[in-house]
Amino acid sequence: MMKNKNYNEYELSKRRRDLLLQAAVTLFALVILAVYLMPMAYGVITSLKTKTQTSDPGAPILPAEAITFEYEGDSYDVLQVPTESGIHNWALVKKGRRASEFVNPANPEAGLIAWEGNWRRLEPVREFAVQWDNYPRAWQTIDFARLLANTLMYAFVTMIGTVAASSCAAYGFARFNFPFKNLLFMIMIGTIVLPPAVTLVPTYAFFVNVLGWGGTWLPLIVPAMFGNAYNIFLLRQYFLTIPREMEEAAQIDGAGRVRTFVSVILPQAVPALTAVSLFHFFFAWNDFFGPLIYLAGNRSANPITVGLTEFNGLYSSETQLILAAAVISMIPPLLIFFLAQRVFIQGIVVTGVDK
Amino acid sequence: MFTEFGAARGRTKWSLRTAFRLQGAQRDEAKWGLLFLSPWLIGFSLFYFTPMIVSFVFSLYDFTLSAPEEARFVGLENWVRMLAQDPKTWETLYVTFKFALISLPIGMVSAFLLAVLLNSKHLMGRNVMRTLFYAPTMVPLIAAILIWSRVLNPHTGWLNQLIEITGIQATGINGLRWLDDPNLIYLAYTFIGLWGIGNAILINLASLQGVPTEMYEAASIDGAGWLRQLWSITVPMVTPVIFYNLVLSVVGLLQYFIVPWVLNLGSGYPEGSTNFYMIYFYKQAFTFQNMGYGATLAWFMFIIGLAITIFLFWSGRFWVYYAGENR
Amino acid sequence: MRKSKLITLLVLLLLVMAVSMAQAQDRVRVRWYVGLGAGTDAPLVAAQEEIVADFNASQDNIELVLEIVDNEQAYDVLSTQIAAGNAPDIVGPMGIRGRASFPGAWLDLSALIEAGSYDLSDFDPALVDFYKVEGAGQLGIPFAVFPSFLMYNVDLFDEAGIPYPPSAYGEPYVDWDGAEHEWNIDTLTEIAKILSVDIHGNDATMEEYDTENIVQFGYGSQFTDVRGRATLFGSGNFADAEGNAVIPEAWRKAEHWYHNAMWNDYFYPNGVYSGSEIMGGGSANWFDTGNMGMVTIHLWYLGWGTANLDAAWDFGPVPSHNGITTAKLHADTFSIMKGSENPQEAFEVLTYLLGERAADLTSLYGGMPARLSLQDDFIERTVAVQSEAYPGVDWANLNWDVVLAGLQHPDNPNHEEGMPSFLEASARYGEYGQLVDNNADEDVDAALDALRNDLQAIFDAAG
Repeated sequence: MMKNKNYNEYELSKRRRDLLLQAAVTLFALVILAVYLMPMAYGVITSLKTKTQTSDPGAPILPAEAITFEYEGDSYDVLQVPTESGIHNWALVKKGRRASEFVNPANPEAGLIAWEGNWRRLEPVREFAVQWDNYPRAWQTIDFARLLANTLMYAFVTMIGTVAASSCAAYGFARFNFPFKNLLFMIMIGTIVLPPAVTLVPTYAFFVNVLGWGGTWLPLIVPAMFGNAYNIFLLRQYFLTIPREMEEAAQIDGAGRVRTFVSVILPQAVPALTAVSLFHFFFAWNDFFGPLIYLAGNRSANPITVGLTEFNGLYSSETQLILAAAVISMIPPLLIFFLAQRVFIQGIVVTGVDK
Repeated sequence: MFTEFGAARGRTKWSLRTAFRLQGAQRDEAKWGLLFLSPWLIGFSLFYFTPMIVSFVFSLYDFTLSAPEEARFVGLENWVRMLAQDPKTWETLYVTFKFALISLPIGMVSAFLLAVLLNSKHLMGRNVMRTLFYAPTMVPLIAAILIWSRVLNPHTGWLNQLIEITGIQATGINGLRWLDDPNLIYLAYTFIGLWGIGNAILINLASLQGVPTEMYEAASIDGAGWLRQLWSITVPMVTPVIFYNLVLSVVGLLQYFIVPWVLNLGSGYPEGSTNFYMIYFYKQAFTFQNMGYGATLAWFMFIIGLAITIFLFWSGRFWVYYAGENR
Repeated sequence: MRKSKLITLLVLLLLVMAVSMAQAQDRVRVRWYVGLGAGTDAPLVAAQEEIVADFNASQDNIELVLEIVDNEQAYDVLSTQIAAGNAPDIVGPMGIRGRASFPGAWLDLSALIEAGSYDLSDFDPALVDFYKVEGAGQLGIPFAVFPSFLMYNVDLFDEAGIPYPPSAYGEPYVDWDGAEHEWNIDTLTEIAKILSVDIHGNDATMEEYDTENIVQFGYGSQFTDVRGRATLFGSGNFADAEGNAVIPEAWRKAEHWYHNAMWNDYFYPNGVYSGSEIMGGGSANWFDTGNMGMVTIHLWYLGWGTANLDAAWDFGPVPSHNGITTAKLHADTFSIMKGSENPQEAFEVLTYLLGERAADLTSLYGGMPARLSLQDDFIERTVAVQSEAYPGVDWANLNWDVVLAGLQHPDNPNHEEGMPSFLEASARYGEYGQLVDNNADEDVDAALDALRNDLQAIFDAAG
């Protein structure tokens, strides 16, 4: 088959337009992203500095350290010193407000050189100095491997349990008619609306005093196994968007309720199920107050969030380490997100609306 | 009022009398419905029901956390104090609603538009982009506090230094003092809030997958532009999830707490503009240990929140489109 | 064969577990709650766990369990535990503030002290009385005291070319011209100004001092609140003996001085600078940044507090006001909660912690032991401990005499003393501090009057 010239030109210009559109959209996204991620960039960069670097008033944005020179057993910062003979890189040995004394690193034997002026107006000679060391230090200080294992256990176990239970309940709400359904649904929404802090004391008393679950993960894991209102609500919303035709077809084919649910509804809800799974996984990953209060007295069971506060103890101020630990703690969930979101690719999901 | 829930066929009106007289198919359906619902029903009655009731009973007591044995029944005294005597109740409610009205539309629209952007087939490196947009949601609270208090610092904060590049005087005591200026603080809080919309983006994104592609193709052939398609196909198709985000955002904003608690120390500073209702609740219930009065405040918030939620569900009848609903 | 082996192994394992669990059940559980004071830092956690392990190995009646909660959450978690009827047995170390935050929750130890004829003769009787609260009894046994002092950055004094603060209480400050000045607030103000520098190198005494670009401050009352900082001008409290709200005259003066120092002379970091990275970015550890000339601080600061400070420093006396020196004092204790089910066993643990292990625990938390018998070699022990942990500092050659001498000038009433409705009153004066520290134009007198009125209302409501 031969394509005529006009058609070829049309193809070409369409491709060119597509490419331009692609560039424009991507650039637009990048600009938003840059603003959006600015605070996080700050966090990551600070996690690579020494504490001194962060509080150095003239320091550049990126981690950098003044070059120092060893003189008579002590090290001194090298500054750019303007003199009659031009600018020299000398080490500042004795600081003074009006006059300071320097030493020339190239010729230390010459001794101290007096210089008139205020050293604070001089530019230090800096070099790029990334404090990678913060990461292993953070890792070791709070026994990260154990915290990570605890957090992963909690997040995975409750994720599986809560998604399974929630999708059942959501299906119940979305597709069946039964007495007091609306009332039950409103009660469920009510559990979201009532501030959790107000039920904290009785809930705590129940788990710890009645069940004796203090110092264990049980008060956090067991309730999750029965689903949770947020996830049920979301899945119900999604299930309601799935047209009924396929279920009806399956039922005509003789499939029971459970089979219809498992083989018709669930496969169609994969994006929503993924979202809910991620949703819960990340919630569990960042859950702080629950583990804090229930695991008190069992430090070896702590998750990352609680471990992080050990850095932040009463008088400590190693903020660069807190940030390094925070970055480490974000890597596993972001990796999971990166891999899991393959599900969200437009067009792959068959919605079954072909009519 | 609740007809929106009664999505299934028949729209039977239930009452206690009819509930136990179900016949045949209806009975079967009710049985299966409750069976599917049973995990939540069991979990609710085991772990939520009693604490909820107990927390309500607290509101009828003068109950100091550190002295539980001295708790004293006071009837509706706490409720009267809250509704009639305590000006803080209404002040803090006003602050909460004011912030919600600013923050809610910005948050909802941003989450939806970002999801559309991240779903665009024209976007290069989509997977990486989505991950990066989600990343701030994963920053642990303790690090987020550190980052924000420093990024917003008038002298050394990056935000002011960035603005300063554009020529506006932003740094310093007379510059933009995000956390000290009652005119700027809601903007700062809204921006911090945008940092956490990863979940809303994620839900929107999941929902966008459910829009059948052939609908777009058909519209394209009809000559509908991108904006028309967005408005007349995408938006209606994802209304159930927008609705979900709306309900959760409203509830979240009513319970808005953590950011003012840590960044402005929960004090209401500046000029009372950060005296949110939940801050007041938390101060009463935990900082001052007046759990009796705190529980009263919380239950009042529950009533308000539930009323708004019911209203939203009612309004949903007019604008939420469920493809699986029998029409 | 293999299967049966496996089963045998499993049964054995179960047996061992059951036996060990039964054994654990036999012991009385005593919970030790840490969080209202020192003890939540990562390095301290391990040391405390060791002490718990030692105790558990030393006897088989009691199983001591350590619960550590970060200070920021510790108050809420503890009140939740108390309210739920799951109060821990022992709480400590904690200061007066910690104790005052849970009024009515502490056990009167008098009966236990008498029953066990516990020997209190090793403590200063005044210190024992310190924990005797009217109507509540003996709520604690003295554990450690933390005197306060001036800490100054030697390098910054050298850079400015000015002499160091005096080395003892009562000595004058000899300035650069050899003139003598009483070591009081005015003298402190003068040198603090010289030690405050902007990015161009101008100091706060100069006309050109650029207050928008300060890189170094002269003085700070570090890690304290309004009551703590005001005590520099004299002891006091917001509640008088009759329970009325008052602003002590000295404190009013102090607050004017602080506001002026922050917003007029700019030698004291105001709220905005305190949150900037130059001053440690919200961690409020000003002295550790190396951009702070002098701070007043307590003994618990030593070591960890200056872990990142690359400069020489030393101790000096707290300056006087109107001829009177007030070096505020922190005193820590361990207490037993009323809700404890096993007060007898808890007291046994308490005596272990405050007796046999007092020396270890005080050096761990950086306190001076309340036991007189342990005070003599306290400095040597501190020097040894700190030298090992932070070898960069010449601990042996610091001016320890001035640290000890600070104990002679304690604040009475203490700056952490109780007030009616303590928690609400504390929150209210915290709001006052936030207001004046962040606003240059704030009228200090008006803000203090508003504070007094609100405090009066809070006190009245407490009945």
